[in-house]
Amino acid sequence: MLEISNLRVHFDLNGTIVKALCGVTFGVGPKETLVVAGESGSGKTVTALTVTRLLPASARIISGEIYFDGEDLLSLEEDALRKVRGKEIAYVFQEPGTFLNPVYTVGNQIMEPLLLHQGLSRAEAFAEALRLIALVQIKEGRRVFFSYPHQLSGGMNQRIGIAMSLACRPRLLIADEPTTSLDVTTESEILDLLCELKDNFGFSLLFITHNLSIARRIADRICVMYKGVVVEEADTERIFSSPRHFHTMELIQAYQAIGTL
Amino acid sequence: MRMNKLLCAGIAIIGFLGVLAILAPFISPYEPSLIDSTNLLTPPSYAHPLGTDSLGRDLLSRIIYGARISLSIGIIAVGISLLIGVIAGSIAGYSGGLTDSVIMRCADIVLCFPTFFLILAVVAVLEPSIINIMVIIGLTSWMGIARLIRSEILSLKEREFIQAAKAIGASHIRIICRHLLPNAMGPVFVNATLGIAGAILLESALSFLGLGVQPPVPSWGNILIESKATLGVAWWITLFPGLAIFVTILGFNFIAEGLKKQWGYNA
Repeated sequence: MLEISNLRVHFDLNGTIVKALCGVTFGVGPKETLVVAGESGSGKTVTALTVTRLLPASARIISGEIYFDGEDLLSLEEDALRKVRGKEIAYVFQEPGTFLNPVYTVGNQIMEPLLLHQGLSRAEAFAEALRLIALVQIKEGRRVFFSYPHQLSGGMNQRIGIAMSLACRPRLLIADEPTTSLDVTTESEILDLLCELKDNFGFSLLFITHNLSIARRIADRICVMYKGVVVEEADTERIFSSPRHFHTMELIQAYQAIGTL
Repeated sequence: MRMNKLLCAGIAIIGFLGVLAILAPFISPYEPSLIDSTNLLTPPSYAHPLGTDSLGRDLLSRIIYGARISLSIGIIAVGISLLIGVIAGSIAGYSGGLTDSVIMRCADIVLCFPTFFLILAVVAVLEPSIINIMVIIGLTSWMGIARLIRSEILSLKEREFIQAAKAIGASHIRIICRHLLPNAMGPVFVNATLGIAGAILLESALSFLGLGVQPPVPSWGNILIESKATLGVAWWITLFPGLAIFVTILGFNFIAEGLKKQWGYNA
């Protein structure tokens, strides 16, 4: 469904070239959960952002191809790409609080993709937004709808983020460390919610994390990145039973070390 | 939310003046240009609370009607500069690069002109009508607002919620209008309030030089200039319009300072 091949992205920081991605290749199948794991700076987020060209202005896509259902995303015009963003491919980001606009109520922000892509009237969008809020298991939907992001907890905001990303029934959800800033119990709830929604909606999930215990819990396949390349890609079972690359082992050890505490 | 005292005082002053200006025909005791040759230069009295001028016109009525001119010049001139400043500043800040450089250099060029003399020259060439004065003040005072908006947008556009807006497929115009500007407008409103005070002062100065609002239409500035000849015998014609300008400027400054405190800017 999503095919990324030989993707190379560099950053031009005032003349200094930083090679963020040096030939990344992987794919996500229909209804599959692929976890991309790796340390900070390994290129996970850059890969995720490159899929719909959300990179900052300093980024240069040097080579590579990204196909989504047979459509070449890298050669797509900006206008056409805008119709893919949020509608076909949606994102959930890391810091739920800062990814919501502080001047609007969260409900208003859930309505935005509906108004943008679905052509709903405001009344229809309002009803749909309330439905989405209920879907991400928030009680008192109406009260939350009219709350501002700073009035809600991190876990609550992340649920809103998920509701917003699912508004247009995307076929691929890219979640970039969605639980990293949350505490462990909330993290667990959000992961359960994501898995449940994935079963109900049938989207594919590209999940980015540095935490292999999360990967083990939700992944069908795991893709380990290190210094801008994919160093190992295999079924979840195989990654844990016989890791081949030293960075995979490092990540597993890191998670085991925490696990024994 | 509680309003601080400064803001309340400012709103009260400007609100009072605004009501005076709007209700001028009902409040003012006389026609502002009614000449009464039996009552030349009478000091403040019961019949004429602020006295009369050298043509016997009632000063209070003229000041009340003058508030209409002064306030509307201030507000419309700042409206024009807000419009230009916000559009120029947000395009410059959002696009960056060459567009940014071109727009901001244009702002610098306008900023280089000694504004007052530019306005004098333009008004001397065109006729000094109220509309011309509003437009020319607006056209020469947008740079501060543009710079302010640009700097706000430069920092706001790196914030995560802008990336999130892009990720749901919002267009550039939508991102600027819906996501960036509402977050950037706070300091701009403070600046604009001060701008209104500045524009009123500028109009008074222009009128004082005879290049502002033309008699017999009363504006605070041209009442002042008419008082110049009779300053020795009729102090009230100088004092009261001067006081009106002073109180108005003070009121707008109070609002600006109050808003700054209310919203927690320490700029």
